[in-house]
Amino acid sequence: MSASKAERLADEELMPRIGEKDPDAFEVFYDRHGGVAYSLAYRIVGERGAAEDVTQEAFISIWRSGARYDTARGSVRTWMLGIVRNRAIDALRSKAGRAPKLDFDDDSILEHRPAEELTDSEALRRETAKEVRGALDELPGEQSKVIELAYFGGFSHSEIAGMLGVPLGTVKGRMRLGLEKIRGELAEGLT
Amino acid sequence: MSATDHERHSDEIAAYLLGALEPGEAAELERHLAGCEECRTELERLRPAAQLLPESVERVEPPRELRGRLMDQVRTEAETAQASRRRRGWHIGSWSLRPVAGLAALVLVVAAAAAYAIGNGGSDEGGATTVVTGHPPGVTAEMIRQGESGTLHLANLHQLPRDEVLQAWVQRGKRVVSAKTLFVPNPDGTASATIDDMDGVSTVMVTAEPRGGSVQPTSAPIVSVAIPQ
Repeated sequence: MSASKAERLADEELMPRIGEKDPDAFEVFYDRHGGVAYSLAYRIVGERGAAEDVTQEAFISIWRSGARYDTARGSVRTWMLGIVRNRAIDALRSKAGRAPKLDFDDDSILEHRPAEELTDSEALRRETAKEVRGALDELPGEQSKVIELAYFGGFSHSEIAGMLGVPLGTVKGRMRLGLEKIRGELAEGLT
Repeated sequence: MSATDHERHSDEIAAYLLGALEPGEAAELERHLAGCEECRTELERLRPAAQLLPESVERVEPPRELRGRLMDQVRTEAETAQASRRRRGWHIGSWSLRPVAGLAALVLVVAAAAAYAIGNGGSDEGGATTVVTGHPPGVTAEMIRQGESGTLHLANLHQLPRDEVLQAWVQRGKRVVSAKTLFVPNPDGTASATIDDMDGVSTVMVTAEPRGGSVQPTSAPIVSVAIPQ
């Protein structure tokens, strides 16, 4: 399949092509999501070199197992970001000499592009990113902290309770309240 | 399940969505979720908030070299896969089957990592179905099905890094789900995994995953065994 044809396909349509080892489909997939994947990896591991390694490993894993994507698990982008997050957390814990998480489950050129080069969906996603950041900023510090430590730091709720010196139940409660509020803030966009 | 247990599990849903439960806790919660509609509703209500967290990160442009390296590797692997398909006369896209003369069943074995397929055989004896397959570099898989359950016996496995485990997956229709079976190779390279519910399973797969397992496969299958229907 040509790259121009692949560009017209939705992510869910690209995945079977990737499963059939179509490099053009993979290229389109990377161009759509490589930026957010690298950004997430960088946010978690904090180093460009390590973020590159994580992103490369995650995308090669997707290339080799693209056919394993399950539509029942949500969007392709959510699935892909879950893979990136898991690998980034593993890299982070390995570097820090922390035991593997046992998680169940783990300056830009773009900024300088003229606005008209952004596709509608990119623009929409950047707007979403702004809204989610806003919702996180609106949270009481104690709630945003436990969410950040868990999601971006890879710490378990027990570890967070130990770090903050608060009961486990308090950590669970702050996590739940935090997600409730983010959901509330974004309710219009989520429904 | 007592009311207290329900409350405890309900309190853990946000931590679960944030990946903050230990694997035992997550598995326990998943068992509870399977039988508790109220908790499933709560899970689905909060899930979008958790799923949007990665979208909140400040965008950092990946280096162009990363794209170049990825595409070089991908194009090389695509060419290898294509050459392999040509040699074997298989077309993975249509998943065509070829008959195996003299055998009771047709078995399709796909090693997704190498994107090639090997035909092999099966037998039906005494109510148990046995499928034996071979996967380079020398890994063999024997799937023995008895009634509703099945046991996968692997041999010639390499030892895994300390932070990885093997995880079994089953495919029903288009859905691939965890068989909730984590295991590691024995020192002699063998391993076994029991799949409790084989009902409707068309393929059993094994991948290497981070310790504690994954919600979805994050690497190519080491072994993929098609189950004769």
